[in-house]
Order: sequence, then C-alpha cells, then structure tokens
Amino acid sequence: MRLERSEALARWLFILVLVGVPAGLFFATWQARQRGILVQAAMPENGGWSPEVLEAQVGVPLHIRLTSLDVLHGFAVGGIDAPHVEIEPGKISETTLVFHQPGRYVFYCTRWCGPNHWRMRGVIEVWGDSNPMPEVKPLYLQLGLDIDAVHRTEIVPIVTPSAAHGAALAAKLTIPEKYMLKETYLTHSPEQMWRSIRGESWAASLSAQDVWDLVAFMFFIQTSAQNLEQGEALYAANCAACHGERGDGRGDMSAYFAGGDRADADDAEHPLGHEATPPSNFTDREHMLAASPALLQGKIVRGGMGTGMPYWGPIFTDEQIWAIVAYLYTFQFDYGGLINE
Amino acid sequence: MVHRTCPSIRQPFVNKNLSIAGMFLFLGLLTLWVPLPAAARSPQDRFIRVEASSFAYEPGVITVQKGARVTLELHSRDVVHGLFIDGYGLETRAAPGESNRLTFIADRSGIFWIRCSVTCGALHPFMLGKLKVIEPGFALRPLALTVVLASAVLLLPLSTLAQQHKSIKRDK
Amino acid sequence: MHIELTALPGVKAVLRNRWWQFVLTLTTLAVFILAIVSGSVGTPVGSRNFAIVFVWILWWALLILLAVPFLGRAWCSICPIPAPGEWAQRGAILKPPVSNRARPLRRWAARWRNIWLQNAMFLLVALFSIVILTQPAVTSLVLLALLLLAIGVSLVYERRTFCRYLCPVGGFIGLYAQLSPLELRVKDTSICATHAEKLCYTGSAQGYGCPWMVFPAALKVNTNCGLCMECLRTCSLDNIAVNIRPIGDDLQRIGIGRMDEAYKAFIMLGSALVYVFVLLGPWGWLKRLAYSVGTLPWLGYALGFLLVLLVALPGLFALAVWLGNHLAKARGSLRRSFVTYAYSLIPLSLSAWIAFTLAFVFANLSYVWGVISDPLGVGWNLLGTADWGWQPYLTSLTPYLVSLVLMIGLVWSANHVAYLARQQLSPARALRQALPVIGYCLVYTLTLMGVLIL
Repeated sequence: MRLERSEALARWLFILVLVGVPAGLFFATWQARQRGILVQAAMPENGGWSPEVLEAQVGVPLHIRLTSLDVLHGFAVGGIDAPHVEIEPGKISETTLVFHQPGRYVFYCTRWCGPNHWRMRGVIEVWGDSNPMPEVKPLYLQLGLDIDAVHRTEIVPIVTPSAAHGAALAAKLTIPEKYMLKETYLTHSPEQMWRSIRGESWAASLSAQDVWDLVAFMFFIQTSAQNLEQGEALYAANCAACHGERGDGRGDMSAYFAGGDRADADDAEHPLGHEATPPSNFTDREHMLAASPALLQGKIVRGGMGTGMPYWGPIFTDEQIWAIVAYLYTFQFDYGGLINE
Repeated sequence: MVHRTCPSIRQPFVNKNLSIAGMFLFLGLLTLWVPLPAAARSPQDRFIRVEASSFAYEPGVITVQKGARVTLELHSRDVVHGLFIDGYGLETRAAPGESNRLTFIADRSGIFWIRCSVTCGALHPFMLGKLKVIEPGFALRPLALTVVLASAVLLLPLSTLAQQHKSIKRDK
Repeated sequence: MHIELTALPGVKAVLRNRWWQFVLTLTTLAVFILAIVSGSVGTPVGSRNFAIVFVWILWWALLILLAVPFLGRAWCSICPIPAPGEWAQRGAILKPPVSNRARPLRRWAARWRNIWLQNAMFLLVALFSIVILTQPAVTSLVLLALLLLAIGVSLVYERRTFCRYLCPVGGFIGLYAQLSPLELRVKDTSICATHAEKLCYTGSAQGYGCPWMVFPAALKVNTNCGLCMECLRTCSLDNIAVNIRPIGDDLQRIGIGRMDEAYKAFIMLGSALVYVFVLLGPWGWLKRLAYSVGTLPWLGYALGFLLVLLVALPGLFALAVWLGNHLAKARGSLRRSFVTYAYSLIPLSLSAWIAFTLAFVFANLSYVWGVISDPLGVGWNLLGTADWGWQPYLTSLTPYLVSLVLMIGLVWSANHVAYLARQQLSPARALRQALPVIGYCLVYTLTLMGVLIL
C-alpha cells in the first residue's frame, strides 16, 4: 500500500508541475495585462510600435507600459512637455500621460534604433470637449518660401565671423532698431542681412569681414546660452546621426547614404532617400549663409526635399525648432567670448 | 572482494606523466603571463576611432603599446552600442550622432576582449572585439607558447612510449 | 585510484531510492517546461528570457564544465526529456514493474543501432544553433520538439530508445563520459556468468531491466550507461557497483572503436572550431551570415560548416594517420587506424568545448539574476533581482583559464596518441606513427588559441 501511496503522490506532483507551471505563467501574464496597455517597441524593420494607435480622453490619465522587443528605444510624445522614457529590451517602463487638449498627437522613438529610427512613430487620438490645439501655419508658408529650392550665396566671409567682434563694433556704431528685431532675424538669411547692412551709410567704413561679424552678432542676440544648449542637445539626439556631430553632413549614419557602404543594404520597403542627396553640410558656407531661420524651420518641419530628411513638425514644439535653428548657425558663426563656455 | 580492472602498476606511469604535464602547463601559462621588460621609449598617445555596428567593432582588433595613453572614440552606426573592456573593466556607450570617448592608460599587457554592454539585438552577447596591449617582443609570447606546447606534446608521449613496455597489457 | 562508492555506508541505499531521482527529474522537468513556456510567450530579447539564459548559459555551463567531465552521463539520469515518455511507457513513475506489458514494444531497427542518427540530430541543431541560441521562440520550439519526439518514441519503441539512438545531447555526453572519473560496473563478471536470470537486463520486482539496453556484465566503457541505477536495484546478487576511477580510464579500453563514434569526435571538434570563429571572433559579417537562416548565403555557410566537420577535419586526420602509418611502416588498414586514433581526440574536443564555454559563460552569467525574477521579461520581480544589470565576471582570469584548458586537452590527447601507437609498435616506430597525429592536435589547438586568446 505504501508503494501505491508513493506512486499516487508522485503522479500528483507530476501533474502539478505539468499543468501548474504553464498555468501559473499564463495567469501571471494575463494579470499583468490588466495593469495598462502594453506598447511594444521594435525597430521599424521588425514592426515598429505595436499598437501604433492609442486613444485617450482629455483630462483622463493614460497609463502606458512600454517594452522593447529588440534594442534600446525611447518614448516621447510630440508637442507636449513630458519627459522621455527609456525603453530597455526585455524590461518594462511605465509612464502616465495627461492631455489637456483634444487632437492627434504623435508619439515617437527617442533613441536611435537603426536607419529607419525616425519613421518609428505612432498616433494618440485624444477626444474631449476642451478647445482643440490651434493650427498655426509655419513661418515659411506664411512667407511663401520655397524650401525645395537650391539656396547658395556667392558672398562668403574670409574667416569664421566672430560675434564678439561684432559686439565690439556694434557698441561703437548706431545701428537701426530693425536689425535687432526678431522678425528681421527670422526672415533674413545671413547673406541678406549682410547685403542690407552693406548698403547702409553707417556701415560704409566697415570691411566685408566686419559686416559679417556684425551679422554674427545680430544672429547671436536672438538666442541665449540656454537656448543654444537646448538646441545643441536636440541636435545631438536627433540630427547628429545623419548631419554629423560637427555638422559636416557625414554623421554616423552616413554609411546608409549615397556613397556609403551600407547604401545598398537598406531594404526596398524603407528607402532612405539615399539615391541622390546626402545630408546637408552645415559647415558649407555657400549653402548655410543663404538660408534664413524661417527656411531652416520649414525644412525641419516638413522634411522631404527629395532627400531622406524626416519631417519633424509633429514632433518638436516651435520653441524646440527655433532652438535647433539657432544652434545650426553656430556651425557658421563663432559665438565664443559672448557665452560662458 | 573488489575485482580491480585497472592494474596498479600503471600508477607510477601516470604520476610521472602528470608531473611532466604539470610542468609544461605551468611553463605554458608563464609564457602568457610573465611580464616582459618594460618599453624603453616614452609612452605614446593613441587615438582610435571605433565604429560599432551590429554586431562587430571596426577595427575588430586594436593593438596598442603597453603604457600608452589610449583614447577610444566610440561611434555607433545603427543603434545604441556599448564598449566594455575585459580585464580593465572600463565601459562607455554611444548612439548614432552621440559618440563617446574612453581614455585610459594601457598599463596591463595582454589580450582583452571588448564586449558590447548595451543590448543591441539578437547577437549582442557575441558582439566582440579585441584589445591587444603589447610590449616590445610581444610576438615572443605566442612563439614561446608554441614551443612549450610542441615540446610538451613531443616529450610527454616520449615518456609514455618509454614506460609503456613495462606495464601490464590492458584487458581486451 | 579506485574507490567503490557503493561500498561506503548509505550510498547504495540512497542510489537505490527512487524518490531522490524523481524529485531531481521533476525539478529539471519544471525548469524545462518553464523554459518552453518562457521561450514561446516571453520577450524575444534573449538576455531577458528564461529559456535562453537558463538553457544556453546556466544549464550548458553546468553540463559541460561540471556534470560531464566529473559525473559522465549522470545528467541523463535526471534529464526531463525522456521522463514523461518513460513514465507513460512504464505506466508508473515510482512503481517497479508488477506484470509484463501486454504488448511488447518494438526494437529499434538493427541498421540504426548506432549513433549515426544522433550525429545527424546534433548536426541539425548545430547548423541552426546561432538562431537557436539567440531566439527564445526557437529554443522553445526545439525543446518542445525533443520532448514530443521522446514521448512518441517511448510509446512505440522499447526502453530508452530515444536516449540511446536519437538524442542530440546523448551523442557527445556518451563520448565524453569515457573520460569521467565516475563509472558503474559489475564487480565480478564470473558471478554474472553463472547467473541464469540476468535480472539486470530483464527486470524484476525491484526494478526495470536496463533502459539503456546495455548488459551490465558486458559494460566496459561509460558510453552507453545512463547511470539510472536500475541494475543496482534489480541485481539479486549485489554484483553492481558505482566506482570512482582514474580520469580517462575508458580510453584504454576502447579497442578498435567504431566509425560512428569516431565521426562524433570530429563533429564535436569541428563544431567547437566553427563556433569559436563565428561567435567569439571579431567578424560581424560571419555572425550575420550564420544567423541569416533561409537565405542563399546561409546555405553556403551551412555547406561550409558540414564540409569542415565531415570532410575537412576527418580528411586531414586521415592524412595524418596515413602519414604516421607510412613513416612507421605499420601494417593494418587505414580505416582501422583512423577509427582507433580518432578516440584520442576526445580529450581535445572536450577541452575545446570547455574553452569555448568559458569564453562566454562568465561574462554573461549575470543575466541569470534578471531572469529568475522575471523569466518572461514582462516586468515581474519575483525575487527582487529583476533590475540587476549585466555585470561580467572573471574577465581578467578567463583568457588564462581558456588557455589552461586547451593545453590540458592537447597534452592529454597527444599522450593518448602515443599510448595507442605503443600498443602495436616498438617505441621508435610508435613515435613516428604518433607524430603526425600529434601534429594535427597541435595545429588544431594553436588555431583555437589563436582566435581566442591571441
């Protein structure tokens, strides 16, 4: 009889393990699902975000659990001020979002996860009664700028313009109000500013380089150390991969563009636009000095232009884009001496 | 009574061979570990740009002189990668567009694996490179090791061959 | 040095008791099922999934670093894969047989009663190993397939036919078990000669006949004994003993040897070599190639893999043996020398696998902490260790351990080649016979060392 009891016990233990282990795991998994939507992040080549569309109500907290299926990703929602959430492979991160205005928000990946990283975006549809987000036409549309057009200038400085020298010059001259206005800064390229100043009588005694220094100073006063820092951080996280940490258009991703050794490795479903144009070289004087802040904002907002440039409109706030634009000019102008390094 | 199937007369043969083997193994390890005389020239500064992509480093093998001040600038070509140096225990990571530098003095000589420290895909645990910190005459090491091993595999069997005819024939 | 463990007080009673074996087997079965489920529904990130970490890091390390070198086939006695099938086949878990089965099960076909099929199974797993090792879902599939296959085979064929002729792990465990210091042997074969019933093979009220289809009195080497202790339970003459003996003892008893086992040695030698190059080398293109299963380039890799293991390595070895024979003016067929000398590669191939394992196991062992708290990688924290990050261990020591292990394997194998040569020839001629084969072992070891530590 003792044998029979042992055998029975052994069989029950076996069944317990055979059924209990999977059951326990499935139950715990089901339990976990009750705690909020699970958004899985994967490289776009592996499916991107799933789900891609979330829904929320104005004022009602949206609790999201995030995990990555392959590499390090990040989560952020464009246009609202919420901290980015790192998503580690095989781990769960959590975040709670509250929306105050209905509309369509874009959530995106904040950690480079391959050449198609910028395509990793999803949508949060927010319903509710409060006033929707105002639609603001970007400046380049208001001005009717053609952001696809080639822009080049023949007039370039001999050496990098120094804003500090420009400041010294400005202290000795009487400069009309309009050159210090934000609107002038936004709508004029450095070349246009230069031409405008050159034609003025009070600037008659200045050399060409001096005028460039003045232009650098005028661009500098429209920004601040903090603003540049924000721009630099945004540039490093979003732009440097293609445009290069030194702004030369040869970023770490350059292998995927024309002439790079991974140019053909990209699959047909996600062309990078590497057929024709590599990323812009911000250190190219003829090119950059002919671009106004409004033009640059337009390019950032809309992207395209027959290249692989992403459209950042739904991602960055206006403030963020202007900060990036201000930073871009530091590849052309030397602000040293005026900002505390 | 236990019927022994292995003749005890084999024991002295095993013992002698074990000591010879042990000696050669010790010598072999010595060739890898013993520090060679330090370099007479002044330590260099080395700057090496390391590009990480899934799943290898470029260059895959980095060779520096012992005592050099080494700066590795890690660039990533696709996703966030890390760089960890075995033995030194140093680590850094980089994302495309956000490179990072690791500066250290290569005061330990030897061969150290470089591993990726950020999960970067399926083959991440096998994303490996090598850092070789060499001193003058470093090539002597593999040479010496080969000599030791070759001697071991020659002399040890010789000892076996010489002793063999004294032992009892094995069971069929 | 020869210690009869079962003569020590209490040891025999413990080994005969079915409960400890059942509890251990049930534990491994629970872990196995956990691995299958984790692999299929858990995160696809290998380092955060129980299936990958526990099977390919922890279990593999314990197996190849501890269990196999020191305990031979002891893993087989608690392996979960055949367990449910065996229990179903026996109709009982702990109960010894009470009556004969109404329908006797089939015997494995005679022409397959060797390890050729095991070789093929191992090759199949090995070809896809880069994907299996890194994708939890694939590991889960392989484990489940082996489990179902074992159960199916147990219901149709007798005893542990799966373990003996099909299990991919069994092929190399059996080979390396020849080196282990643990053995199960009959104490006095003359007693068996006069015993009519041979209960150790047919079974009795105390236990089942040897599930490994081995006749204990004829057991000379460890290759096919799964240390399941059934014969210890059934032998009515108390003639079975478990002993500790000198390491590598079986190598002296092989005799002529068999081609299937010889080829197994080359398969293990070659796979270690390929894995060191592919997984532990700095060549990213090679890793991606081995991973891209299903593509045409991968087919090239697979072909290359098979050529190295089945043609190049054996071919070069045959050349070395032929050269040895020629230099020593030895008579005897090349085939016979080839098979006999192939067994001397066993220590070298075990050391190659141990070296390969050491090179990645300690660096990645820390993943264990994460998966024991979060086996599915879904955010649990059962034991509070889920956030313990990656922390490589023993990285300063590893290259020296690796080189030490490879050197030991080389010296051991070389010594055995000399021993084998001396069995047939005078010392001078034996040296000439041995040298080319020893040279083969030396070149192989230097190649591995070159990629690993130089």
